[in-house]
Amino acid sequence: MDFTLTPEQLLIKDSVARYAAGEHAGTEKWPQFAELGWLAIGAPDELGGFGGPLETLILMEQFGRGLVVSPYLSQVVLAGTLLRAAKRDDLLGSLVEGEARYTVAYEEPHSRYDPSLVATTAVRDGDSYVLRGAKVRVLDAATATTIIVSARTGDEVSLFALPAGAENLELVPYATEDGHDAGDVRLDGVRVDGSAMIGEFGEGLSLLGLALDHATAALCAEGLGLMALMLEATVQYTKQRQQFGVPISSFQVLQHRMAEMFIEVELARSMAFLAAMTLDEQHDDPVARARGVSAAKVQIAKSGRFVGQSAIQLHGGIGMSEEYKVGHYFKRMTIVERLLGDADYHLGRYLASQDTKAKIPANATVA
Amino acid sequence: MDLAFSTQERAFRDEVREFIATQLPEDIRRKVQAGDHLVKDDYFRWHRILHERGWVAPGWPVELGGTDWTPVQRHIFYEEFAYGWAPRLLPFGLNMVAPVIIEFGNDAQRARYLPKIHSGEEFWCQGYSEPGAGSDLASLSTRAVLRQAQDDSGRDVYVVNGTKTWITAAQWADWIFVLARTDPAAKKQEGISFILVDMRSPGVTVRPIETIDGGKEINEVYLENVEVPVENRVGDEGAGWTYAKFLLEHERTGTAGIAGCRQQLETLHELLERESIDDQRLNEKIAQVEIELEALAFTELRTLAAESAGKRPGPESSILKIKGTEIQQAISELALDALGPYAERHLAPKYFNYRKTSIYAGSNEIQKNIIAKRILKV
Repeated sequence: MDFTLTPEQLLIKDSVARYAAGEHAGTEKWPQFAELGWLAIGAPDELGGFGGPLETLILMEQFGRGLVVSPYLSQVVLAGTLLRAAKRDDLLGSLVEGEARYTVAYEEPHSRYDPSLVATTAVRDGDSYVLRGAKVRVLDAATATTIIVSARTGDEVSLFALPAGAENLELVPYATEDGHDAGDVRLDGVRVDGSAMIGEFGEGLSLLGLALDHATAALCAEGLGLMALMLEATVQYTKQRQQFGVPISSFQVLQHRMAEMFIEVELARSMAFLAAMTLDEQHDDPVARARGVSAAKVQIAKSGRFVGQSAIQLHGGIGMSEEYKVGHYFKRMTIVERLLGDADYHLGRYLASQDTKAKIPANATVA
Repeated sequence: MDLAFSTQERAFRDEVREFIATQLPEDIRRKVQAGDHLVKDDYFRWHRILHERGWVAPGWPVELGGTDWTPVQRHIFYEEFAYGWAPRLLPFGLNMVAPVIIEFGNDAQRARYLPKIHSGEEFWCQGYSEPGAGSDLASLSTRAVLRQAQDDSGRDVYVVNGTKTWITAAQWADWIFVLARTDPAAKKQEGISFILVDMRSPGVTVRPIETIDGGKEINEVYLENVEVPVENRVGDEGAGWTYAKFLLEHERTGTAGIAGCRQQLETLHELLERESIDDQRLNEKIAQVEIELEALAFTELRTLAAESAGKRPGPESSILKIKGTEIQQAISELALDALGPYAERHLAPKYFNYRKTSIYAGSNEIQKNIIAKRILKV
């Protein structure tokens, strides 16, 4: 067993950390991401790709620490994994270059977090398909050039790549509480060529499942970075803040709360690693994937809520202030807690994965 | 990063598993599986079997009868104990006093005490807590006064007076290691010495303390004018607190009891299956505990990897103590919840008994102090 980073991984960590510590407003940094190679993480070698879930973890943890607002999660991890699994290197190439921007529209008003609850339809009409339905909270839709949409093609679900400006596609973009952007999409008879299908006919849910597992693991890493920084900020603040003539960090009731925050951060760190390792080593086993990734998300959601709420509480009034950073970390953490499935959703998914799989044998590998 | 166990480590696991499966006496295995209390002879028989195999003291230096195992191997070894329903040997001699004697004792003490600890011939217990000194152990008031023996020998002895409490296995022990105040004028941590007392000495009395689960594992030990030869002091006079802290850090590793928790959960699942109990709310509660257990197991592996890379077990092990005991307690609660009224007869004592885990070996509140002071540095 060896938890040390390779020299390549250290390089990624340092370069992302440098970026995250600096000024990083908005999406105009995308060409820089491409240049630094960050858009190529997880892509095949032929496209200049490198690394996988562990490298994504390293990047996303630093993004969390720096509260980087970026479409990386949706446009690189979620869409990129999906295109790779669908063997669409033609599209992935332009993603890696930073030329084309993809997002994935899979949630609907009634579906909550479950990608299999699809009411949107794609009806075959000659050589083309006509799509009707509604998608909600499509991440980073405003900057996407292409929206990959899940739609029912009879009993199965298939995926279609729609140009963002397609006729009869209405996008209502909005800013989310954490400063990211999302959009609701109406498809009112959008007509696309059969070649717009991503993956095989009826392959939509298995492709989505894989891509969502990778995105969820990446989100766990971002949550880890957010909570680690909230803990550090809280420790620092309580050492400076004086009340009753002493630093408030000298009060045991606060010390114990911070010790509990520390424990939660470390458990979250373990589960973020476990999720990445599961994807690395059990890539082709959807049940093992669901088990590892959903367990991680349950832990990150629970730990993140506790660490975030405690950080605000221990900062006192300043924690409520829009001017001060910890409140912004807390807001992002609150979104991360629910994004791609909240704790209840993933607990259900974890339980479902147990029905089909025996208990972990004692001599299994760590993953 | 490479987080899988190596081929050698897996082979080692198989070897240990096979050994336990074939060598552990069946009656002992059944007792452990049923959660019954063991008697001295159970521990002794298992001790002898491990002793003969050379596996009784994995953490000792090889030349004293230890092993050259890596931290990962030691971890695997004790995991297999849990999976094979083998009892952990009592730690007071092997894992507590012995490391102190090895590190701080003299040659005569190493020669006198270690072989009999190793062979199982002498049992030990721990004389730390007192009625007035629990978490604030350094405030202990047991006194050891140096003077000439009452007989004509003219040798120097400590006369020890005080009460020690919560002592596991005192009723079986041949020896007790005691923290006693040798210099009442010194600052409270500085006047303490580490003294080995023969339980057969005149003036030593053991009184059992019955616990809320009906168990009689722990005792109070009264020391009244007990004469102890001065050569039974380990290390320097007044340095006992340093040795005590050394010992407590040893004690903390392995307290997470993760493999044991996995076994308990497995048993719980079997029980639910046998009784055809399928309750969604209960399943969710169990799943939540399982996830926390996985998180802690991975945290332990991270600690272990750091240890393998040469780092001493540090204050991070407090996480393992706190979460490990919380999870052990949670599982004992789940078992009660799972069986409802039927649980009371068999499972309630265990639930009551497990309340001790967050109190012993440095209460979980003390562990949080350690995290706050030594990791967060507040």
